[in-house]
Amino acid sequence: MPGKVPNALSGVELPDPHMDIEDYDPDADLMVLNMGPQHPSTHGVFRVKLIMDGEVIVKAVSYPGYLHRGVEKLMEKLTYAQITPIVDKNDYVSPMINEQAVNMAFEAALEVEVPRRARWIRTILAEMQRVASHLVALGTFTLDVGGAIGGGASIFMYTFRDRELILDLFEELTGCRFHYNTHTVGGQRHDIPAGWAGRAIEALKLIDQRLDEFFELVIANPIFQDRSDGVGILPRHLALGLGLGGPIGRASGVDLDLRRDAPYHCYDEIEVKVPTRTTGDCTARFMVRYEETRESLRIALAMLEGVPEGPICSRKAVNSAASVKIKDGEVYVGVESPRGELGTYLIAGGQGGQGPYRLKIRPPSLHAISVIPYLLPGNNISDAIAILGSLDPIMGEVDR
Amino acid sequence: MAVDDANDPNTVNFTNPLLDHMLSVPGLDLAVTSIDKLLTWASSNSLWMFPMATSCCGIEFMATNAARVDLDRMGSIVRATPRQCDVMVVAGTITVKMAPRVKKLWDQMPEPKWCIAMGSCAISGDFYRNIYSVVPGIDTFMPVDVYIPGCPPNPEQLMAGLLRLQEKIKAQRDGTWVPIETRPETEKMNVPAIHRIQDADRDPLLTPAQLDRSRSLGMNGAEHRAADEEGREEAEAYARACHLPTNVLRASRGGKPAEEES
Amino acid sequence: MTPELKAAIAALLAPSTDEGKEPLTAEDVVAFGMWVPASLHVALAELLKAHGFTLYVTVVASHWPGEKPSRRNPDPPPEHFQVATVLRNPTRGASTTFSWRVRLEPGQPLDTLFALFAGADWQEREQYDLVGVHFAGHPDLRRLMMPDDWEGHPLRRDYAIDTPHFPWR
Repeated sequence: MPGKVPNALSGVELPDPHMDIEDYDPDADLMVLNMGPQHPSTHGVFRVKLIMDGEVIVKAVSYPGYLHRGVEKLMEKLTYAQITPIVDKNDYVSPMINEQAVNMAFEAALEVEVPRRARWIRTILAEMQRVASHLVALGTFTLDVGGAIGGGASIFMYTFRDRELILDLFEELTGCRFHYNTHTVGGQRHDIPAGWAGRAIEALKLIDQRLDEFFELVIANPIFQDRSDGVGILPRHLALGLGLGGPIGRASGVDLDLRRDAPYHCYDEIEVKVPTRTTGDCTARFMVRYEETRESLRIALAMLEGVPEGPICSRKAVNSAASVKIKDGEVYVGVESPRGELGTYLIAGGQGGQGPYRLKIRPPSLHAISVIPYLLPGNNISDAIAILGSLDPIMGEVDR
Repeated sequence: MAVDDANDPNTVNFTNPLLDHMLSVPGLDLAVTSIDKLLTWASSNSLWMFPMATSCCGIEFMATNAARVDLDRMGSIVRATPRQCDVMVVAGTITVKMAPRVKKLWDQMPEPKWCIAMGSCAISGDFYRNIYSVVPGIDTFMPVDVYIPGCPPNPEQLMAGLLRLQEKIKAQRDGTWVPIETRPETEKMNVPAIHRIQDADRDPLLTPAQLDRSRSLGMNGAEHRAADEEGREEAEAYARACHLPTNVLRASRGGKPAEEES
Repeated sequence: MTPELKAAIAALLAPSTDEGKEPLTAEDVVAFGMWVPASLHVALAELLKAHGFTLYVTVVASHWPGEKPSRRNPDPPPEHFQVATVLRNPTRGASTTFSWRVRLEPGQPLDTLFALFAGADWQEREQYDLVGVHFAGHPDLRRLMMPDDWEGHPLRRDYAIDTPHFPWR
């Protein structure tokens, strides 16, 4: 293609998200289209008000908050032991990582050490959960650009079928397909059953094979390329300013992955290869997620071979709601969730030490969605759907 | 089905001399029952679903539609518009911001319509029920036909719920449906301030208020604000009548402490 | 945090030390939880951004209501708000966070960081919505999570968690 192709590192002119719409061309006949809180794009309840000049979007105003469940207020009334199942429901597509973020904050405030076996298991669970979450993201993005009845749906079926294998393993370990409540302050509640590691290795190898088939179907498809190449280029400086460090940031050239750069669990013992791109468009985000899935499969397979022996929890098992007491302290802990940096800011000392005074969850999806007023203007509606799909927001954690 | 048309004066009772003549023809009643059976079978096996999927149950709903437990083989496909749907599957927590939209979409669905409350957030608000922004169960503003408990329910449970709905539809059309039995209530259960839509002791003024709210949905809530200035006294009177605490309506209003307002 | 950065932060904060206390030195600068006066909030963020802390992480506001003096706590602090800001430097291999706290009186606004970090837009709107802290200079400070006609700030300590909202609960 002749001429310079814009990418995330070149200067892309960004619209002003707070532009007054009256300043736009007075002769234009602007239409307001409400992409309402209920829409078939499977990304949860989220409203975008699109102000359009014909087919082209001029301004996009987004309204989150349709799933605001007041979780932070609720946690001020709960004890530390009761918080883990609540926090599962924030980023409901990767609950393991939610639980880990919160329990790591409690452990940091209490200065409790987690035994090596528990940290190893946590790493394996985080990587498997990352695979499952990316399968959802890849499947729903293909569903968005491919149509719900037709090509997109078949890829969606494939990825969800593979995700079921991982959920079966989690069900065997914790008892639930979803919302596991398996992490606790100081370690894990459920230990790996006999033979689980072998079954997990088989399942992950199968997923690895099937990812090849799925990838070949999608990436060379001209419709997919038309709808995703060059669409929604997010410049690197905006990604940094908005706080996007996950797959979205990495697709725009922000070379940051907390597993490699601020390691926790057992990530300092293994090598994590972090895929990055500089194109910053929807295809780049898709490819980064795809390559991360492969990398997570490789890490999980390597770690399942040699799980160390030892205790899985350094404290006595939680048997009452008030068994964890943290007198005071303030910590911030960030972990790498499939969407970016999931952080927990804990101010301890509430309820006489039995619960937090203020627990704020830093949701990566909130920052992902705040990209919308910058990316949508200048595009068509079909591009808007593709961009929203490639951001992979989870409204449970945006609104909490 | 909808409670509204029980006392609705606009309901039409269909009579036609041709129908009366048809019913008097010998043997036609056999044909009519067979046709009726055919229609029942068709109706219960082609329930197109409207996914009101807000949170985690939405992901399980998607997983149920996926390859392992396939809802499509029940004849149910997911349609994005309420006008083409028979069943609204409310999967996930409904918040105060979302509730008028859900009610509006429910009203936009044409009859016959049914509702499945999937997951404990839709049934009762789950553990969020006492939070300022959560509606404690969707049956406070819309009639529910099947409750599927779970957090979230397994795909098999959702399938079982759909099969129960099919049984219910067959029973309703056969005329053998027994009215809803009261859910067993435990002693420790928190009773919500707003009763279920089918409870006898529910305030009759509540449903029109909910209907008004959902109809007046503007793009920026301007209608709400205008209505609120007059309606705030009404809301406080209602709260007092239900023995709800009224001082909380004034708490933290723009930083003014409660004692200064009198 | 490099020694130059620590020295620069100490130099920035030194003139605002309370009387009778020793001015801040480079060794006193910690990466978490330093108390910073509200007037130096933006200057500190600019300094950090120039030294590599370019990833905006979050801002956390909390409400500390005034308590009555009791035997255990004879001199409790009056009602105030605390705003903590967290930034991260996205260095490959050695990424750290820096976070500081600002104490505000009720009604006192805090300067916005929107000019430096685009992510401050929504984070500050959310804290305004839920806790009620005003951010001066913010281009569009309105509610984010709650409906536009909501009254009150839910995450304040004197806001009842089960506040009714006619006609839905």
